[in-house]
Amino acid sequence: MPQETAGRRDDESQVPLFGTWPRIYGAVVVSALVVMMLLTLFSGWPF
Amino acid sequence: MTAGFGALSRADWVVLAVYLVAIVSFGLWMGRGNRRVDDFFLAGRQMRWWAAGLSVMATQVSAITFVGTTGQAYTKGMSFLAFYLGLPFAMVILSITLVPFFYRAGVFTAYEYLERRFDARTRTLTSLLFLLSRGLALGVTLYAPSLVLSVVLGWSETATILLMGGATILYVVYGGNRSVIWTDVVQMGLIWVGIFICVGVAITRLPDGFALRDALALAQTTGRLETMDPSLDPTRPYTVWSGLFGGMFLAMAYFGCDQSQVQRYLSGRSLTESRLSLLFNAFLKVPMQFLILLTGVLVFVFFHFHAPPLLWNRAELVRVERAVPPAELQRVQSVFEAAHLERRAAAEAFALARHDGGDESAAREGYLAAGRRLDEAEAEARRLAESVSGEPYNDTNYIFPTFIVSQLSGGLAGLIIAVIFAAAMSSLSGEFNSLATASLVDFYRRYVRTTASDGHYLAVSRLFTAFWGVFACLVALEAGRLGSAIEVVNKFGSYFYGSILGVFGLAVLTPSARPRGAFYGLLAGMTAVFVVSQLTAVAFLWYNVVGAVTVFLVGLAITAVAPGPRPAGTR
Repeated sequence: MPQETAGRRDDESQVPLFGTWPRIYGAVVVSALVVMMLLTLFSGWPF
Repeated sequence: MTAGFGALSRADWVVLAVYLVAIVSFGLWMGRGNRRVDDFFLAGRQMRWWAAGLSVMATQVSAITFVGTTGQAYTKGMSFLAFYLGLPFAMVILSITLVPFFYRAGVFTAYEYLERRFDARTRTLTSLLFLLSRGLALGVTLYAPSLVLSVVLGWSETATILLMGGATILYVVYGGNRSVIWTDVVQMGLIWVGIFICVGVAITRLPDGFALRDALALAQTTGRLETMDPSLDPTRPYTVWSGLFGGMFLAMAYFGCDQSQVQRYLSGRSLTESRLSLLFNAFLKVPMQFLILLTGVLVFVFFHFHAPPLLWNRAELVRVERAVPPAELQRVQSVFEAAHLERRAAAEAFALARHDGGDESAAREGYLAAGRRLDEAEAEARRLAESVSGEPYNDTNYIFPTFIVSQLSGGLAGLIIAVIFAAAMSSLSGEFNSLATASLVDFYRRYVRTTASDGHYLAVSRLFTAFWGVFACLVALEAGRLGSAIEVVNKFGSYFYGSILGVFGLAVLTPSARPRGAFYGLLAGMTAVFVVSQLTAVAFLWYNVVGAVTVFLVGLAITAVAPGPRPAGTR
């Protein structure tokens, strides 16, 4: 078996979206809350 | 007009055949060049986030998720969506906690990490639980869609199982995880296309003068659009709270501790790519499930205006027609058809009242009353089927495939059947590969041959993959005779998923936790879940919370009172 850890890229600092990890996590949480709000609206919408 | 179980057209068969040949060929092509074990199991750790992310999603979406979820929306509505509410939060927590630990440890399996952190017995027990539960569930993953497709396509169960299982075994044995991930990408793309086609078809098949808004109003009247039940009752299966908390723990356990998922994102070319593959799911999973459930609701409305069959399962219908006296069957059929026509008229009156400013409230009440009479007629038909077979009758999984085969044409039915195949094969492929990885890394390499060449381990990896593939086919072929044992197998995992999550929580969140606390905490967690499941009516989503919290607290308590030896790596 090869040495799995040799030469692995651990590029925590390179965040391709939103700039930083806290911002990405924040975006996920905000989008989840928005989806829940939209679902509540959908369920009760007076079609 | 009664919705028949119409046969597929030549164009449909061509589409289905092209899919099967193309996906196997593509899997073989993408899987060429495996020379080392980490090529075979982790795709050389070179996957981009979007490919690994789609593979994570595809592994989770099984065929029965696809046909079962639409059927559930048809019969009970969209409340099942709550199951996924906690998933985005779980993805964030895993990205911050477990994923970096796994990635930096350079492990092949999640359980391997537990030996480094605790001891060999904790690793072996968790890996064994994974092999047992996933191995047996694999047979069900294959059997359930095969059974539905065999009825819908008119094939034998054996033929469907062998075609689905055999095609998947072929490319996973040869190409390993690289084949799994790239075929998952294609299959997940196909599944998305299929979802949009189904939503589009269900909308366009509404009758003239009946707009989408009317369809949704009708579904809403029956409570089928309810997705956010705020009830605090722990015995209700799908509430906002069980979805947010129980669902979050379940998602953390599944995506963080189940090798079939862990292996997908450990294939990322960097920690960033691995994390993004999970977060990708955090954004897309709930909208995808919403669309699948919405399809089921629209199919429900569709069958207001097109008569459904007396029983959705054609094989059962044939059995009933042979066993029940014609006069009795004719009576049940007549009651059913009359009730359907009555509900159709009531639905049209409801829409008319909405458009013309009539008495909408009275029209709604009339529609609900007609709906109850149809429910009673359907219940009578089910009782007829149960009296013939002597077993409980449930045909929820047959509703959506029947809609496809009876209503789509020009190759579209073949495409959607191919989507169901894709959903089944994408789950099976990831599971074959992950079961082989745990078998090789956690048992064979750990206990049988601790040192050997990479070529030897690669050959054994392929043998393990083939073994699990054949095992799945054998369990699926026998599943029809297992009866209620199938349910036991399906529930088996829910008894310890949360407990395994608790062990991983101890591992990464509490540096002081000792191996003894982890091992006995795990046993205590599984016991607690078993007791709760047997003695209370608490909904299953809460089992994961009970298991994880028990392991965590018992593990810490044992560490404090009788800590035992330190982890091997720290002595």
